[in-house]
Amino acid sequence: MVLEALGDRTRRQIVHRLRAGPSSVGELAAALPVSRPAVSQHLTVLRRSGLVSYSELGTRNVYRLDPAGLRELKNWLDGFWETVLDRYAERVREDSADRADRGTPPRPE
Amino acid sequence: MPGHLTSVEPVRKSVTVPAAPQRAFDLFTAHIQEWWPLRTHSVGAGDAVGVAFGDGVGGAIIETLADGATSVWGTITHWEPPHRVAFTWHAGTTEAEATRVEVTFTQDGPGSTVVRLVHSGWERRPDGASARDGYDSGWEPVIGSFAAAVARAH
Repeated sequence: MVLEALGDRTRRQIVHRLRAGPSSVGELAAALPVSRPAVSQHLTVLRRSGLVSYSELGTRNVYRLDPAGLRELKNWLDGFWETVLDRYAERVREDSADRADRGTPPRPE
Repeated sequence: MPGHLTSVEPVRKSVTVPAAPQRAFDLFTAHIQEWWPLRTHSVGAGDAVGVAFGDGVGGAIIETLADGATSVWGTITHWEPPHRVAFTWHAGTTEAEATRVEVTFTQDGPGSTVVRLVHSGWERRPDGASARDGYDSGWEPVIGSFAAAVARAH
């Protein structure tokens, strides 16, 4: 869900902006080359994904990054590289077994 | 806001493989196509047909798609066989959103190597390079990593 939300460049820019601190829709729209309604729509997607949360501050809705979304992202990255290294290790094991079968000693260092 | 809420720690992974460092290094780089999980870990997903690793600093890691199109995942920044290779990483996004991957190969007894991978570069940069470029490396690259591809694959 987080990754789908971040597949869009404008949403990445919004998240990027929110790293500096909480912002209102108006502030985000002023800083980005998109309209206020468009920013609102993107914020809705980001909220559903768990990356962004909001609170009412007086009459303003203020958006901020949500650590839960960040954790999900970190988990995804962990899983990504874990799969990659698993596949790599599997290939090295096959390769070593092939060499043993052929009687080729491992190359000395 | 506390800084820790907006920073991402480097991803650190390691695996021990039954090969000497040189062989482990060669398999990781020159032979990447033999093991990289292209179907799930590529920009083209089902359309990805190959991936190649450059063989020195400045070389690229390039995915090839069925129609012959290519997608550059990153550029090699350090090439020290058989101990270390490092590269920028911007698979699925632009070079401006690149993060960094470093892989080290450490002998761990005869015919055994510990391979450690660190994927970093989405923390706030203290060196001011980002301010100079008008680009604060951070959340954007994280997300760049395959986000679009994953979205398409689902």
